[in-house]
Amino acid sequence: MADEQTPGGSPTPPPEGGKPTAPPAKPAAPAKPAAHAAPPKPPATMVSTPWDSELARELKQRFGDRIGELSTYLGQNFIVAKPEAAISVLEYLKLEADFDYLVDITAVDWPKRAERFDLVYIVYSFARNERVRVKTYIADGYQPETAVNVHLTANWLEREVFDMFGIEFAGHPNMTRILLPEEWQGHPLRKDYGILQQDQIWVQENLGIESGQ
Amino acid sequence: MPDQTFLDSTELVINMGPQHPSTHGVLRVILKLDGEKVLGTECIIGYLHRGVEKIAENRTYAQFNPYVDRMDYVAAVSNGLGYCLAVEKILNVEAPPRAQAVRVILTELNRIASHLLWLGTHALDIGAITPVFYCLREREEALKIFEKYCGARLTTHAFRIGGLLYETYDGFEQDIKEFCDMFLPRVDEYEELLTTNRIWVGRLKDVGILSADECKEYGVTGPVLRAAGVKWDVRKAQPYSGYDKYEFDIPTRQNGDTYDRYVVRMQEMRQSVRIMRQAVAAMPEGPIMGKVGKVIKPPVGEAYVSIEAPKGELGYYVVSDGSTQPYRCRVRPPSFVNLQALDRMIRGGLVADVVAVIGTLDIVLGEVDR
Amino acid sequence: MVRLLKKIFLVDLFQGLWVTFRNQNPKYIYTEQYPAERPKVAERYRGAPRLNINPDNGETLCISCNLCALACPEALIVVTSMRNEETKRKELTTFTYDTSRCMFCGLCEDACPVDALELTQDFEMATYTRDGQIWDRQMLEEGPKPTQYKC
Repeated sequence: MADEQTPGGSPTPPPEGGKPTAPPAKPAAPAKPAAHAAPPKPPATMVSTPWDSELARELKQRFGDRIGELSTYLGQNFIVAKPEAAISVLEYLKLEADFDYLVDITAVDWPKRAERFDLVYIVYSFARNERVRVKTYIADGYQPETAVNVHLTANWLEREVFDMFGIEFAGHPNMTRILLPEEWQGHPLRKDYGILQQDQIWVQENLGIESGQ
Repeated sequence: MPDQTFLDSTELVINMGPQHPSTHGVLRVILKLDGEKVLGTECIIGYLHRGVEKIAENRTYAQFNPYVDRMDYVAAVSNGLGYCLAVEKILNVEAPPRAQAVRVILTELNRIASHLLWLGTHALDIGAITPVFYCLREREEALKIFEKYCGARLTTHAFRIGGLLYETYDGFEQDIKEFCDMFLPRVDEYEELLTTNRIWVGRLKDVGILSADECKEYGVTGPVLRAAGVKWDVRKAQPYSGYDKYEFDIPTRQNGDTYDRYVVRMQEMRQSVRIMRQAVAAMPEGPIMGKVGKVIKPPVGEAYVSIEAPKGELGYYVVSDGSTQPYRCRVRPPSFVNLQALDRMIRGGLVADVVAVIGTLDIVLGEVDR
Repeated sequence: MVRLLKKIFLVDLFQGLWVTFRNQNPKYIYTEQYPAERPKVAERYRGAPRLNINPDNGETLCISCNLCALACPEALIVVTSMRNEETKRKELTTFTYDTSRCMFCGLCEDACPVDALELTQDFEMATYTRDGQIWDRQMLEEGPKPTQYKC
């Protein structure tokens, strides 16, 4: 049959074929029962290449060892900065390098790492027509400095990161939840928050029902 | 004897609650008023939060495709295009030229449909009741084409990762040509109704001004940015899906007020027709699906891809950990970021302008809240 | 001077009114008289699901491969089958489809290798109970039978 059938789900009947209501294809990363498996391979990492350009050299010169690596993946450049230096990098990019538009602030949760969260800032320059990502790795409980003083867009974007991940930004004018109700407990986009999990107390108090399901 | 406090004019706090005909969804705006003048606003969102990003982490890439349409439900095809482009980027495949041409046609048709709905509801909020009927009548023609192509009018699920699933139906090109021919005179009709109408101009001129610098500070994109004078469009700056093959203009204006945004969107509709005509005339033959296996398992990595949705820059930041499910799929919604600028735009204006400004930002709460 | 006259005599407002009056022509009436006339939906319309039956021998086309259940984002299809000892093939016993959670995305229809599961042009699927929305094999094969409208 033609290549048209790309919906997920493996074509070979999986060992758990008898329970089709189970959530589909679990991630391949955790090893299957070790009895008949080879020794587990180390987890794959992103294959990025070093980014060498005038901007990269200026950044390296200016920030020295407060910047981890400057790499490129699939043509998209990113900078890994130390948590304390992230805002200075953003400021430098805005004032000296014309990256005046903050596109997005987001985070990724890697629970197995010591520095659990990947805080990502994406900035764009109208003049150069270039986009750069600034990433920092922060641990749970660390409070990064707010980017509101550099870019006004960061206001709601940081509130959303706080709401979904629990990362508080020091110095933010209004560090409250934005998408979820104020009294909600828990931060949904963390990996230890289940997909069907809810704040039962809030649901019962405010909606008057047992559960939202 | 009336109480002294009764005669004091203090700040009045009014709730423009989540249920309101003019807020285009469940948006709650708390207005602080001094008489009719707006001193400040506070937006409370989250009433339509469905946890789409969390769902993405529990579905495979192809299974997440239908969910993406439901964010900006007015213009569903753009969302699908952005997601498919992002996943194709981390898979490092490109859709074949025929698929790209059909994608461009459907996306531009989708842009017209979105702007039509915007025009209809915006005019209705201002008080002009006739445009909404005509706009929805045109939108109906566009939705008919979507239905004939992929089977659904609103939540289209039109694109697949790697290209298209459905080949164009017999008569697709004919339908698009007829739509283009029918549509341009209708745009003239809307302009006749509204553009020089003194009530329209009086309500929209100099209302909700957002200058170019303020736009850049707030990260506002889309027609709002272009009305302020910045000639920037993702389709021209970082072309995707074959947009560099087509000739089209980017309408801009100077003032950055509500009237300018109206003019920019009307011009954009005309430019969309131009793109559609070019794409139909030059549609290549060939396969419609790229080299994507049955099971989509991208290598470990991440990518950010953005497209020019009708509302602004819609971006997808997809992080893959090597498995069949996205590890993190962040959607950068244009309406969310544009809505932040509401406070700056409306401060000092009148209460009646709040409705005009919310309308002109063209927000869709499905996208704001995800 | 012309501009002042145009302003006094409300020319721009009358221009708009003329557009409205022009559209009062009965040939522009666009209302579909549903339910008296059912709208013609497209051929590819994703409506109510149906399990197709082989027209020659009246047996179901479904081979119980379970691909539709795996493709569904909402995991609302449950397929059970029984192994037929004579032909050594799987035979379908029950097929449950929960239309209340279905978003009619069409992934199940795309996944089916034998075109047994199809999303038809039926859209009148209302029921009086929540449980009525969970369709079993018989409902899927026959389709929903809405009451005919008599004006």
